[in-house]
Amino acid sequence: MRNLFLLKSIPRTRAICLLLWFGLVIWVAAPIGLTQAPERATGVLRLRVRVKVDDASPLRGLARKRFFLIRGSREQNLDVVHAIEQNTLPSRDCYYSKLGASEQLRAWLRSGDCESIYCRAVDQNFVTGPNAVPEFTEAYAMGQKEFGNDETALRWISTKVSANLRDGFYKSRQSFVQTILKQAQGSAETQVRSVMTDSNGTAYFTELEPGPYVLSSIVPTELGANSAIWNCDVLIKTGDLATEKPYLVSNRNDKNVKCVAVERPLPSCEK
Amino acid sequence: MRLTLRPLTGLLIGIVLVVVLPSLSLGQRKRRPASTQPVRVSVDYSKFSHSTQKHQATCSTCHKIPTSSWQKASSFPDITDFPGHSACVSCHRAQFFKGVRPVICSVCHSKTSPRDDDRPEFRKPVALLQFTTEFPHDKHQDVIAFNRTFGGLAFAHATRLVDQGYYNCSLCHTARTSVPQAPDKGWPDRFVPVVAAFKSSPSGHSSCFNCHWKEQQPIAENCAGCHKLSKPFSNTVAPSRISLKFIHDGGGEKKNHVAECTTCHINITKAASLRGLKPDVPITACTECHNREGLRQDVSKELLAIDKDKSFTCIYCHTSDVGKLDPPASHYLIAERPPLKRKDVK
Repeated sequence: MRNLFLLKSIPRTRAICLLLWFGLVIWVAAPIGLTQAPERATGVLRLRVRVKVDDASPLRGLARKRFFLIRGSREQNLDVVHAIEQNTLPSRDCYYSKLGASEQLRAWLRSGDCESIYCRAVDQNFVTGPNAVPEFTEAYAMGQKEFGNDETALRWISTKVSANLRDGFYKSRQSFVQTILKQAQGSAETQVRSVMTDSNGTAYFTELEPGPYVLSSIVPTELGANSAIWNCDVLIKTGDLATEKPYLVSNRNDKNVKCVAVERPLPSCEK
Repeated sequence: MRLTLRPLTGLLIGIVLVVVLPSLSLGQRKRRPASTQPVRVSVDYSKFSHSTQKHQATCSTCHKIPTSSWQKASSFPDITDFPGHSACVSCHRAQFFKGVRPVICSVCHSKTSPRDDDRPEFRKPVALLQFTTEFPHDKHQDVIAFNRTFGGLAFAHATRLVDQGYYNCSLCHTARTSVPQAPDKGWPDRFVPVVAAFKSSPSGHSSCFNCHWKEQQPIAENCAGCHKLSKPFSNTVAPSRISLKFIHDGGGEKKNHVAECTTCHINITKAASLRGLKPDVPITACTECHNREGLRQDVSKELLAIDKDKSFTCIYCHTSDVGKLDPPASHYLIAERPPLKRKDVK
C-alpha cells in the first residue's frame, strides 16, 4: 500500500515511463532467469565399507554392495527403517533349497557369493566332469540342440535355466527393495539415491543436497553365519569434494566407524 | 497533473506490455502462411527411414529374429540380413516394378538388377543410425554383482574365479584393438593416443542376447526394450576425453591404472541410462598416486607453473585444448591451496 501512495506523487508520464522500463527489464531478464539455473551448493559422501566375516577374520572392503541414501533423518524415516529391519527375506541357501536346486548349484553360487547365475561365467568344468552342476549340464544340452554349436551353448547357458533358479533370489530381493523405495520416496518426497561399492568397498554419492539422510543397505548382506543391515544417520554438508576422510561403515564397532551394522544370525530355512 | 486513482491503470498497461504483447508477437513469429495448394512430396525411395509412420509396425513384422540363415554370418542367433521382399512389396509394389533398375532396390541391394541379389553387410556400415540404445548400467551392475568374499572357500578360489571370467564392466568394455577415429579437426596438438588409452563398447547383439534371448526381458524380439527411434546420427563420433593422455591399461610397469572401473567412474553404478553420462572421474582417483607426498606431485607442479606464468598449459594429463583452461577448484583443493583463476595470477 505504501508503494501506491508513493505513486501518487509521481507525474503520470514519468509513471508510465517507469512501468515501460520495468516491463522491458522483465522481458529481457525473464528468459535468462529461466535458462540459467541457480548454482546449487551440493556435497559428496565417500563411503568406505569394511567388514569382518567373524572375529578371527581380517577387516576387508565389502565389494559390490548397493547402498541407498534416503532423504531425512532416521527419526523422520522410522517407518521405513522399521520395515527394513523387520524383513523376512530368506537366506540365499534357503531360497535355492526350497526351489529344489542341486547342492552343486548352491555351492557354485556360494563360492562366488552370487545372488544369481549371471554373476560369473560358467566354464566347461561346471558342465561336464566331477564338478558339473546338473542344472548347467541340462541347460548346455538344450543349447547345443537349439544353437547347433558348443560355444554358443556354453556362453548362452543362462538362457536355458529356469527363471527362478536363474535369478529368482535376486528378483525377490529387488521386489523388497522396490517396496521400501516406494515407501521411502513417499515419505521423503525425493528420489532415493544409490551406489554400489567397488572392490575395495568404496563408493561415492555425489551432488547431494545438504541435510540429514539415512544411509541404508535395505537388504541384508550375508556375512558368514550372520546377516548385516545398515541404517544410519548421515549429515551432508556443502563444499565437500570427497577429499576429506571417508565415512566408515562396518559390522564392527570402532572409534572411527560412523555406521555399524545390526547383525543377526541367518534365518533358519522353512521346511 | 498528479496520479490519484490511476496507479492501477499504469500497472495494467505494464502487465499488458510485459505479458500480452510479447506472447502475441511470438505467436505471430511462429505462424506460417496457410497454403491452399496441395503439396506434392517427392519421395526418395533409395532411402529407408524407420520414422515413416507406416514403417513403425512391430519390428518382427519385417525383421525375422533370428534371420533364417544366421549360421552363415554369425556364431550366434542374430539379425544378420535385411528383411525379405515380402516386407516391402505389400505396400511398394509400384516402386518394385518401376523401370529396369528400380530405385527402391538400392535400399538393400548393391546392384539394382533382378539377376543380382548381392547385398552389402547388414546393417550398412556407412548408413546413419536411426536408433539409440538404452542400457541401464545400474541394473546390470546389480545382476552381475559378485562379491569376492574372504575366508573359507570363496577366498581360496578367488584367483581361479577371475580366470573363469569375473563378470563386471570388462564383460562389455574390453581392450580395443584400434585407436578410435580422430575428430574432424584432428586430435588436439596432433597427439595421437595409443590403443591402450581406450576401452571398447559393445557394438552388436553378442553382448546382450546371451542373457536376453527368449526369457529375460527385454528379449530379442522386444527391440523397443533397448532401441529408441531417434533422429539419424553418425556412429563415428570421436571419443571426448578431458585427459586424453590417460591410458586405461597404463600406469607404469605395474599397470597401476588397471582397477575396477567403478573405482574411478564413481557415478556409473547409479546411471539408469546411457543418456546424461558425463565425465565422472574425481581428481582424487588420480591424486592418490599422482599428487602424494613423497611419491609424485604432478598436479601441484603444474599449478606452481601457472603461478609463475599464467599462460602455462597443463600437459601432464591434458592436451592444450583443456590444459590452457583455468584448473578446476578441485585441483587446487587437492594441492591444499585456495582456488585461483589465471586472470588473477599476478
